[in-house]
Amino acid sequence: MMVLSIDDVYDSSIREIPIIGTLKAIYKRRGLLRLLIARDLTLRYKRSVIGIWWSLLNPLLTSLVLYYVFNTVFKARMASGTSFAPYLLSGMLISTFFNQGLTIAADSIAGGAGVLTKVYVPPPIFALSATISTAVNFFMGLIPLTAIVYVSGQSLRLRTPAVVIVALCMVLLTTGLGLLLSLVYIRFDDSRPLVQLILLMLTYMTPVFYPVSVLGPHTRAVIELNPLTSTLNVFRDMFGRNAVATLGDWLYMSGTSVLIFCLGLYFFNRMWPKTVAML
Amino acid sequence: MSLPVVEITDLALAYRRTRHRVASLKQVAIDSIKRKVAFEQFFALSGVSFTLERGEVLAVIGRNGAGKSTLLKTLARVLPPTKGRVIVRGHVAPMIELSAGFNHELTGAENVVLYGSLLGRSPKEMVNRLGEIGEWAGLLEHLDIPLRAYSSGMIARLAFATATDAIPDLLLIDEVLSVGDADFREKSATRTASMISGGSAVVLVTHDLETVRNLATRALYLEHGKPIAAGAPDMVIDRYLADLHH
Repeated sequence: MMVLSIDDVYDSSIREIPIIGTLKAIYKRRGLLRLLIARDLTLRYKRSVIGIWWSLLNPLLTSLVLYYVFNTVFKARMASGTSFAPYLLSGMLISTFFNQGLTIAADSIAGGAGVLTKVYVPPPIFALSATISTAVNFFMGLIPLTAIVYVSGQSLRLRTPAVVIVALCMVLLTTGLGLLLSLVYIRFDDSRPLVQLILLMLTYMTPVFYPVSVLGPHTRAVIELNPLTSTLNVFRDMFGRNAVATLGDWLYMSGTSVLIFCLGLYFFNRMWPKTVAML
Repeated sequence: MSLPVVEITDLALAYRRTRHRVASLKQVAIDSIKRKVAFEQFFALSGVSFTLERGEVLAVIGRNGAGKSTLLKTLARVLPPTKGRVIVRGHVAPMIELSAGFNHELTGAENVVLYGSLLGRSPKEMVNRLGEIGEWAGLLEHLDIPLRAYSSGMIARLAFATATDAIPDLLLIDEVLSVGDADFREKSATRTASMISGGSAVVLVTHDLETVRNLATRALYLEHGKPIAAGAPDMVIDRYLADLHH
C-alpha cells in the first residue's frame, strides 16, 4: 500500500479570513470541482436520447408558446430595429439560467448531506459545480439563439464573445443566492413550494417576454432594480440589437453579482456549522 | 520524534436545536406569534481531551447518543468545536458509512475516482489507482458498468477498497468493520491491521467490545458527551460494562 504524505494541518483555533479563506479552499480542491462538473453534465445527459438538447427543450418550447401568445401584443411596442423573437428567446435563456442554476445549486448542498456530514469538503464547491454546469447549458442555448437572430434579419456583433462575462456574472449571482437558498432548504422542510412561488414572481419582475416600454414609470423603476434587467440589456445588445446596454448596465450587472456572491459566501460560512448539525 | 497526529484540548461541542429537529416554516411562524421560538442548547461533547500518536488505536465506546459519532465528525473537521481546540496533522481518511459518496448512475470506475477525490486525493492519482482498487475488490471486470447493476455487497467492497487504498495519517472508523460476508470481513480486518502497522493513527467507534479488545491500544468511554473513563481497553470496558448492568 502507498503512504499518503500530506503536510496538511487542521487547527480549529485558526480563524480563516472570511471570503478569501473559502476561495482558497475551493482553489485547492479544483480537481474535485472539475470532476463534479463532469459528473453533473454526465448525469444530466447520459440518460436521454437527445442528450444535451434535452435541457434546452423547456426554454425553446416555452419561447415558442410565448411567441404565439405575445407576438401580436408586443410587436407594436418594440423599439425600432429590434425584433421580438430573439428578444424573447434571450430573455428565456437568462431566466432559465437563473432559475435552474439557483435551485440546482441549493439542492446540490441540501442533497449532498451524505458526503458533507462525513468528509470535509468545502460545501460551496457543490454549488459552484452546479452553476457552472448550468452555464454550459446556457452556452448550448446560444446556438438556437444565433439562428433566430439571423432568421430575424439581424446579426452577431463584435462584442458577442463578451457573453462569457455575462455567463460569469450569472454563475456568481446564482452561486451566492443558491448558497443562501440551501440553508433555507435544510432548515425548513416545507420551504420548497414557497421558493418556487417567489421564483415565479421574480420571473415576472424580469423583462423576459415584455418590453420595458410597456411599463408605467413606477413599475419600471422597480423592474430596473432587478440585476437581471441590466444583465438582459447587456445580453440582448450582443445578440442582434434588441436592447441598448449602457455602461451603467455593465457596472450594475457585474457589481451586483460580485456583491451577492460575496454576501452569499459570507453568510453561508457563518451559518453552516449550525446547519450541518441538522443534516 | 514527530508531533502527535491528534491533539484535542478541552473540546466541547454544543448543538442549538429547535424542539422539532428540522423546523418547518409553518412551525416557526406559529411559534414566533406565540413568542416562543424555543431553542435549546445541549452539549454533544464536553471536556474531552486526548492526544494520539501514529500506530495508536483509540476505541471510543458508550451508549447510543453518547457523542461518539460527533467526536468523529469533529476530527473529520465537519463540525467546528464550540470550545477547546482540535489539531489534526496530515491526511484524514474517514470510513464512515461507506458509499455515501457513491452515485448509482455512474460506472464503478467513475465512482472510485469521484469518491477518492471527495476523500481529498487528486483525481489523477485516483485514475492511476483504479487497477489496484478494482483488483483488491475483485471487481476489475465490472468497473465499466453503472453501479446500479452492482449488488450491495459489491458496492460495499468497492467503497472499502477505495477508502483504504492508501495509508492515511488518521483513519476514522465508524462501525464499518461489520459489513459484508465472513470472507470479506476477514480480508478487510487484515487490511485495517496493515494500515495500523503502516503508521496510521486510528479512532474507532464500535459497539463490538470484542473488536475493541483485539484492536485498540487505548479506549475512551463517553456518557452524555463527557469522558467517564480512559486508558487501557480492558479497564475501560470493565467500567462500561459495570455501568451498563446497573
